Amino acid sequence: MKGITVIGARLLQTAFVLLAVITILFFMFRLMPGSPLAAYIDPNFTPEQQAELMARFGLDRPLWQQYFIYIGNLLQGDLGESFFYRQPVAERVFALLPNTLILTFTSLIVAYLFGVLAGAYLAWKRGAMVEQIGVPLVLTTRAMPEFWLGMLLLAVFSFGLGWFPAGGTRPPGAEYDSLWALYTSADFWRHMTLPVLTLAIYSQGLPLLLMRSNMLDVMREDFVTMARIKGLSTFSVVIRHAARNALLPVMTSFAIAVGYQIQGNVVVETVFSWPGLGRELVRAVSTADYPLAQGAFLMIAVVVILMNLVADLLYAALDPRVTHE
Amino acid sequence: MTLPLKKTALAAMLSVAMSVPAFADPIRTINLVTRPQAAQPAEFQFTQLIAQEWRKLGLDVNVEVMPWEQMIQAIWFSRDEWDTTAWQMVGRPERSDPDEIVYNLFHSTTAEKGFNFIGYNNPDYDALVEKQRVALDPDERREIVRAAQTLLAEDQPNMMLAHPKSTYAVNTSVWNADSVVDQSGIGIRNTWSYIQMEPVGDVKDIVLNSSDNVTAINPLYISGGTDSWITELVWDRLMRIGPDGLPQPWAAESYEWVDDTTITVTLRDDMMWHDGKPVTPEDVKFSFEAAGSGEAPMYSPFVNGIADIAIDGMNITFNLSQPSAPFLTASLSKINIIPKHIWESVIEEQKTLETNAESFQEEVPIGSGPYRFSSWTLNEEVVLAANGDHWAAPEAERWILRIVPNVEAALGMLRSGEINFLSDFPGDPTVVVSAAEEDPNLTAVSTVDIGFRYVAFNHRRPPFDDAAFRKALSASVDRRLIVGAAFRGFAVPSNSVVSPALGFWHNESTVEGMTAGVDLAKEMLAEAGYEVVDGQLNYPEGVSETLGE
Amino acid sequence: MLRRWLGAIRLPLHDPLAIVGLGIYLVFVLMAIFAPVIATHDPNEILFTTEFALAADLPPNLDGYLLGTTTLGRDIFSQIVWGARSALLIGLTAAFMVALIGSIVGIVAGYFGGWVDMVLMRLADVAFGIPFLPFVIVLAAFLEPSIWNVVIAMALVLWRDTGRVIRSQTLTLRNRVYVEAARVSGSSDFKIILRHIAPNVLPLSFLYGSIAIGWAILTEASISFLGFGDPNSISWGYMLQDAFASQALSKGSYYWFVPPGFLIILIVSAGFFITRGYEQILFPKLDR
Repeated sequence: MKGITVIGARLLQTAFVLLAVITILFFMFRLMPGSPLAAYIDPNFTPEQQAELMARFGLDRPLWQQYFIYIGNLLQGDLGESFFYRQPVAERVFALLPNTLILTFTSLIVAYLFGVLAGAYLAWKRGAMVEQIGVPLVLTTRAMPEFWLGMLLLAVFSFGLGWFPAGGTRPPGAEYDSLWALYTSADFWRHMTLPVLTLAIYSQGLPLLLMRSNMLDVMREDFVTMARIKGLSTFSVVIRHAARNALLPVMTSFAIAVGYQIQGNVVVETVFSWPGLGRELVRAVSTADYPLAQGAFLMIAVVVILMNLVADLLYAALDPRVTHE
Repeated sequence: MTLPLKKTALAAMLSVAMSVPAFADPIRTINLVTRPQAAQPAEFQFTQLIAQEWRKLGLDVNVEVMPWEQMIQAIWFSRDEWDTTAWQMVGRPERSDPDEIVYNLFHSTTAEKGFNFIGYNNPDYDALVEKQRVALDPDERREIVRAAQTLLAEDQPNMMLAHPKSTYAVNTSVWNADSVVDQSGIGIRNTWSYIQMEPVGDVKDIVLNSSDNVTAINPLYISGGTDSWITELVWDRLMRIGPDGLPQPWAAESYEWVDDTTITVTLRDDMMWHDGKPVTPEDVKFSFEAAGSGEAPMYSPFVNGIADIAIDGMNITFNLSQPSAPFLTASLSKINIIPKHIWESVIEEQKTLETNAESFQEEVPIGSGPYRFSSWTLNEEVVLAANGDHWAAPEAERWILRIVPNVEAALGMLRSGEINFLSDFPGDPTVVVSAAEEDPNLTAVSTVDIGFRYVAFNHRRPPFDDAAFRKALSASVDRRLIVGAAFRGFAVPSNSVVSPALGFWHNESTVEGMTAGVDLAKEMLAEAGYEVVDGQLNYPEGVSETLGE
Repeated sequence: MLRRWLGAIRLPLHDPLAIVGLGIYLVFVLMAIFAPVIATHDPNEILFTTEFALAADLPPNLDGYLLGTTTLGRDIFSQIVWGARSALLIGLTAAFMVALIGSIVGIVAGYFGGWVDMVLMRLADVAFGIPFLPFVIVLAAFLEPSIWNVVIAMALVLWRDTGRVIRSQTLTLRNRVYVEAARVSGSSDFKIILRHIAPNVLPLSFLYGSIAIGWAILTEASISFLGFGDPNSISWGYMLQDAFASQALSKGSYYWFVPPGFLIILIVSAGFFITRGYEQILFPKLDR
């Protein structure tokens, strides 16, 4: 019974946050300078046609009315029409979302696998040279501008060594029977390597330091000393206990990292010409195509909010000590 | 005797009093608008240079940076509120005929809503360009167009700067260099190249790039430069602009001017749609009517001179409401021939909806052109396949466009062979040229563009309504400075909206003998009555500043 | 009272890494202050070799342009030096705003509890739901391109981590004996906060601020790269955007795109080094 109340409360909270973000988004975009007419710059655009255009996009009605119409449409899955593409926003956004999600999840999995193992290793080697250098080095990886790292990797591994292509998700003109065939093809992974590497290098710092911190805590505990006295292998004891302890924070931080990572995508997608949602958002904002920009932004925010919810639920589920406030 | 002395003294005092100048206002801070450096490095640079020179004349200049969409709002839709701005006209094959540029940019009727956003109003000029529009004899028309250019050079409504040289590159280990076509004013990036390029080895696909997304593949929607490369290949037109810049028959087998306002075009009889059906004169008539139906607003100006269209066998007769010299270029080379059996119901449906034909995107666009649509992966690539049944079937097998927003990556792809035709490079052209010099397989070609860059003056706001003032400001900057420091040498100086790439129409006397310099400009200003007081440039005597803060 | 506050800013001088961090900051502060003296040219000046020949893409040479010139003819070394000013200006202002707002929200929510707490924490939830970089992009398009967009965006959204953690800390402190005693003896809430809560919370604020400097500089760099940066202020992020937009990679102009990136890494790392001694700060989600 208690579990359900917790879940229920969290769901309500999430719904509230979602509504608040949608509202902020709506008013922010409606108050933006730059006119939708920019998309229609044409010498033959008569004042009647201009008025028709404003009416078509609902821009001639009071702001409050526009807001409720927007919410109403949203509930039906209608995100409006893009000024420039003259096509429904929802279609575009959902078509591009998988590309962004694949990049996000793959790079995070790589980052977390590496981070957890490396973090455990560094904790085990506490005091040694590798740890003294390793920790500052890891902090440095979180201090790099991602686009700079991306451009350098591109220059070295693509332009220089020619090991990887310079952009896109597949070779020019390549045809695949299905999305699944594409995602499992070697070419796709070749194209994905550099962007994933760029994102992973930046993201691995958090799980690494988290794991290291956990291990250090565990290693200090009494039962480890006891095990050593008894002659048991400290390694297996430590690993088993640390693993159990680390599970919660690592999984929680993974969920939240998705939310943070998806923003880094914006830059990496541009550097590697990856056709994702981040790149589309940037272009939509640059061209003042605000239905599209709003739609892309909303989609990203939904992912972030959803992952925050997942993190909350994981926390509630896995940590028996948490009581609902 | 004292009286004459007093009179002299009084006269002296009066003359001293009279020689005190009446009020003269300093000119307000002038705004010069430009796009950001990331988007337009050349434009950003030349506005800095121009501002620097104008400040030497005693003007207070403020450079305002804003992205294109905000610029449109601030300049195009707010015609009373700006002073000067950087601007450009993009070169397109259809602009090989000077009408669109000499008429639309400066005729007084397009001042309020159209391309004459600077507000230029000169009845003599209006008369000239109206005349060239109906002058059907090319030599006669040429003289009128030249005269128009001379008039503009005298008046300096805009400060013309340069015609950029576009630089593109091709991989000659894949394509036979002699088969690539350099179109006057456009460069090697053109439909003729795409049709005629011969593969040298095993690679038979043209792989090219664009830094901008493909917005739509729609023959009734002018949706962007990149999109037009695709529409030009998938759909045919009655005529096409040839490599020499002049219109030649394409889908039309022949044409004949029956009289000043009537032209009969004979359609080829071997044309087929990509879905197998034959192309008929009804399709052609429908295409022109669709363009004027109101559901394709961007194309309607190109057909509004057509009064009616009659069909007789394979002949299509256009009746114009008045003689039109640019008709072949502006209309017959512009309107896409679209299948009636697909678009008729679409247009009917759009008439009942709020949207128009621009919103309709075919799943598989059907045209009759030398390439047929194969696939479109959103934001990534568009693939066209050669249409073997076409009378001008391409030598290549496929035409593959890759969207590459990262400019350095595009160059890297050219070098690695990922692309074999560099068709879009908004970056520093010296990089492409060096890459071609280092690699014997790469050839770079730079061509003077039809388009141009300039600084526009707003004639609605003094002192820009004074021709002498404009001429002085224009004369203060040596165009060689602009060409060297903003375009890295990849441009030619300009003093006319008609580019030297249009050899037949260009009036060289506007550029030859152009003199410039800050000292010259100062002289011109002084002659026109503008004085520098306390380091600030003032209006002539008696004129006050009406627009300052 | 003052002594209490000064003592609270326990500079982590015990940790060698933290000292390195502080040292790095000192160097940058000096660079920023003495920029007009250290720089060899005006960073915005368009330079020429002869009358119409732009001093473009020149490699470094010791008696003229120490780090060479950009494609638009500007001196790179001078831009680097002046860039320190932008970096510190944005960084310190943003850090101050984040720390200030986060601390106030955290203290008020933690101390007063009840509906005040609920409202503030709901606000924090909403802030957590807004993807930060996209938000800055939209703001940069909404307002005019300016370095202050990053500061405003951070002030509106990034106080959230600081707020949550400081609220936790305040909750613990509120239940301490001496605070109870002060309340019983009739001290006003404001005085209690000022004397007992705030000084103890200050190290946390200071350290979050330290990280926030890095966030601000990295965000500004990303925004510039995407083309939304402030063209009137020379920052390292702007230099990188300029370099890539001028195909510096293809030209092999390492002297142009490596130094700004390197300096960004240095200054942001310095912020992390300083927090090194307080590892729990890096994992705020655990503290609820």
